[in-house]
Amino acid sequence: MALDTAKVENTMAKRLRNLLFSQEGILFIILVLVIIVLSGRNANFLSASNLLNQGRLMSEVGLVALPMTYIIITAGIDLSVGSILGLSAILLGVFWKNLGVPLELAIILALIVGTVAGYVNGLFIVRLNVPPLIMTLATLAFYRGLAQGISEAKSVTGYPEWFYIFGQKSVMGLPTQLWFFIIATIISIIILRTTTLGRYLYAIGNNPVGARFSGLPVARTLLVIYSYSGFMAALAAVIFVSRVTTTRSDMGTGLELDVIAAVVLGGTSIFGGKGGIIGTLIGLVLIQLLKNGLALSGVTSDATTIVIGLVLILAILVNNFIQRRRDS
Amino acid sequence: MTKVFANPVNLLPLILGLLALISYQFLPFVNQPDLGATTISTLTAARANNELGISTNGISLLPIGAFAALLLGLWTFSNPQLGRAASVFSLLAGLLMLEYFALFFLDYLAQGASFIGSMGLGFWLLLILALLLIFQVFLPRSKAGKEFQLRTLLANQESAILMALVFLIVSIGLASPRFLATRNILDILQGNAYIAVAAIGMTMVIITGNIDISVGSLIGLLAVVSGRMVVAGNPIWLSWLMPLLVGALVGALIGFIVAYLKVPSIVVTLGFLSILKGGLIIWTNGERVTNMPDGFYLAQMKFFGISTPILFMIILTILAAIWMRFSPMGRSFYALGGNAEAARLSGFSENLILMQVFILNGIFAGIAAVLYATQLRVIQATPPPGLELAVITAVVVGGVSILGGKGTIIGATLAAILLNTIRSGMVFINVSPFWILAVQGILILVTVLIDLIRRQRQLI
Repeated sequence: MALDTAKVENTMAKRLRNLLFSQEGILFIILVLVIIVLSGRNANFLSASNLLNQGRLMSEVGLVALPMTYIIITAGIDLSVGSILGLSAILLGVFWKNLGVPLELAIILALIVGTVAGYVNGLFIVRLNVPPLIMTLATLAFYRGLAQGISEAKSVTGYPEWFYIFGQKSVMGLPTQLWFFIIATIISIIILRTTTLGRYLYAIGNNPVGARFSGLPVARTLLVIYSYSGFMAALAAVIFVSRVTTTRSDMGTGLELDVIAAVVLGGTSIFGGKGGIIGTLIGLVLIQLLKNGLALSGVTSDATTIVIGLVLILAILVNNFIQRRRDS
Repeated sequence: MTKVFANPVNLLPLILGLLALISYQFLPFVNQPDLGATTISTLTAARANNELGISTNGISLLPIGAFAALLLGLWTFSNPQLGRAASVFSLLAGLLMLEYFALFFLDYLAQGASFIGSMGLGFWLLLILALLLIFQVFLPRSKAGKEFQLRTLLANQESAILMALVFLIVSIGLASPRFLATRNILDILQGNAYIAVAAIGMTMVIITGNIDISVGSLIGLLAVVSGRMVVAGNPIWLSWLMPLLVGALVGALIGFIVAYLKVPSIVVTLGFLSILKGGLIIWTNGERVTNMPDGFYLAQMKFFGISTPILFMIILTILAAIWMRFSPMGRSFYALGGNAEAARLSGFSENLILMQVFILNGIFAGIAAVLYATQLRVIQATPPPGLELAVITAVVVGGVSILGGKGTIIGATLAAILLNTIRSGMVFINVSPFWILAVQGILILVTVLIDLIRRQRQLI
């Protein structure tokens, strides 16, 4: 009996240690430290209204970061998300204002456009074996070019009042887009952890050839996640347009780098096969709180950029170091 | 060497190209380089003042075609088997030259002017040379060259891009002859020269299987370093040299983290992108650098009548291409990118190679930064947006495999020129500037697809 308790305690301690020294664990500790330091410097930092506002600002990057985590787990990458966001946003405005489509329908059409844009990425990657980096580099230019060409650099404004619910209002105390983000996060975690699709992602990332020879539907899986990425970029576009009340063709420029930074910071290996949504979530929160906390302490946004760059490299360094210590 | 002389047909492109370049010098307008984009109306005005003896629409096709033939002739010296390919390419060079004459006679018919009489000997000689360049393709040649088939022209990305360039120049030139004005062609070459120089370093990095997405921020930072140095009163040569040094230092730091601390290069350079960009803006406070002394503007200078950016681009490309092909260090980059495990087992030091390649990349970023900093009278305090993507796009379109181990410097430089030709050409054929990026995206995709399809065929 006593032996059993000791054993349980032993495994518990072991599991706790494993959890603590996983990338997520280390990141979480960094996050707590950052919160402690920043809240000491400014009383407003931990106020509910500030935190909710940060949640609002984080949601667009966050929504896109969920499928990006999937894609990076399969050892792929999607550089075109910012351009898909721009294209969907422009088409939302054009459908509604120029073509006279009802706004509800325009939103659905914009979501379809985004999904198709992601599907096209996937199609070339799967059928023609174009490396994802190159395919999405080309569509980064192409989709942004379409957005510019269709809009001719004109912006669309004057959306009806109800439309602002997505980006500016709250539902049951939480900003609307935060609801979207929370629900999408939960679904993404469940899919990745409990479904066969989630297992396929890791298998493809670890060994794509092996996955194909084991009879996994590699092509279909990749098509699904690249379409998912396009869909989420379009959803982020709708929220973005609602938040800033206008549509411009340069929306979402550079989004891909923010998203990839959050995913990589969250411990998802750029070589594929490792990582998860929880890490991405911590990475997102860490970046957003650093931005906000440093701004509140009077640090300029450019200095914050430096800090985020440093944190990105250091977090991977610390993780590398600890993983190597554990292995040896 | 003897094989080349054994078949004198192989020497034809060289001889014809040389003759054409010489005859070009005797054309009456050549001593008026500032003529620039000339339309038929300014031409007739010039004729009335008796300034010109010749129509200058598309005139730069003549030296381009002649120079291409000359290079192709030299090419056969490296391998006589290339004779057949060289002769087909020379046919294209001849067609390129002939386009000028077509434009000329169209002008002539439209104007009904009498300037055809005062063309001089050079004009007619060039016409004959262009025709000879076209007809030499029908001459019989040795057995060695006969194995050549037309599809081998597309056998590598470099020649595919060359063909695309010729096709674009000819077709846009037919639609809008002003596109072919010497000044515009020089502008195209000059405008993207610093991107081509940065692409040399990036090519090396990508060949080793890595990537550098911080290069745009680095170039922005180094440009300001150069400008601030010279404004602070340092000697001009030191201000040109310092970006190279700082670039090498930053490259060494990136290389160290990638090589010894085992952080993937895409993550390190993503971090450096933020660090360098933020650092630059804090350092400059967003203020542009102005009031550089007169001797500082390296990119606006000319040597032997060619502006420095073009000179740098060509010389550095040739040197780097030779170096990558023949030096042990250059070969080690290919070895590491092709098969890291095999390279390690063959006794290459992976860490050393990574340090070297990132330091070199930093130096090329430094040269690119000096060219960028000195091309205008002001240096912006923010890095040019999307510069890293422009550099990576040039490398990828140039046929360098993103997975490492494959590709050449020349391909990347040609691709940088091709991308700028597309951009400039679309203005001339009245594509709305809003659509240029979209067309560019499609073209990137097409060139990459051609490259991929070819590789898959070769595998089978």
